[in-house]
Amino acid sequence: MLSYNQALKGKKIFQDLQMEEIKPIMKLIIRGKKREFISAVGKSLNILLPTESNTSTQSDKLTALWLSPDEWMLFSNETVREDSNHYEIKELLSNKISIKNLGAITDVTDQFVMIELKGNKIYELFQTGSPFNFNDFQNKKGAVTQTILNKIDIIVHNLDKNVANLFVRRSFSQHLFSWMNDAASRL
Amino acid sequence: MFIINCPFCGEREQSEFKAGGEAHIIRPKQPTELSDDQWAEYLFMRKNIKGIQFERWNHAHGCRKWFNLVRDTSNDEIKAVYKMGEKPPIK
Repeated sequence: MLSYNQALKGKKIFQDLQMEEIKPIMKLIIRGKKREFISAVGKSLNILLPTESNTSTQSDKLTALWLSPDEWMLFSNETVREDSNHYEIKELLSNKISIKNLGAITDVTDQFVMIELKGNKIYELFQTGSPFNFNDFQNKKGAVTQTILNKIDIIVHNLDKNVANLFVRRSFSQHLFSWMNDAASRL
Repeated sequence: MFIINCPFCGEREQSEFKAGGEAHIIRPKQPTELSDDQWAEYLFMRKNIKGIQFERWNHAHGCRKWFNLVRDTSNDEIKAVYKMGEKPPIK
């Protein structure tokens, strides 16, 4: 990631809720329908892509989120180097998948902003602006959903109890973050 | 407002979806052989009945997949949901 401007500045702390942009995180969207695609990804990255809807899987380095029956998001568990936008994993997948026409790999590192939320009021915050029913979701570790928050498309990943990752498109991130701060201040 | 059971993601609220019009409209095999009226019939004319209607929907803010849905337009009751390419489970 080069000449990178942080979309959201600073960590916001409220009672029982903290939010902060985590960067730089490598993010890839991978798409493929064939069975060979899933096994090729599994073999190259040592991660099993989740085939069950609204779930995720994790390896030492990567997390895979189910987005649709033929679409997943891969992101790095740790932050990556800031002075480079060259990712070994993308290179590896391009060679094993794109070149062999098994599927498509798209680098969305700069497209999505990852916000980490901590605290026991995460879902109370989401409930103020989302039509999604978070009742079962919040108790299910590793659950993933794509939904709307304040009319903005988001991806939510329930990482652990009281920890969640939220992905939002960069152009919407500042607006959403300021809305979330406003909503959190009223919880 | 109603809840739609997306065949891929499960139950979601209607605002996550986009309606895509009537389902099971077959494109004529030889459009050049049709008269203007027949072509217009295929292109524009859609049923808008009070009662059971077969529709296409797209889970636009979720998995972005298209699917079919059988809906009673008088009370928004959803009779069936099935994937693209499948035959309607009810007539």
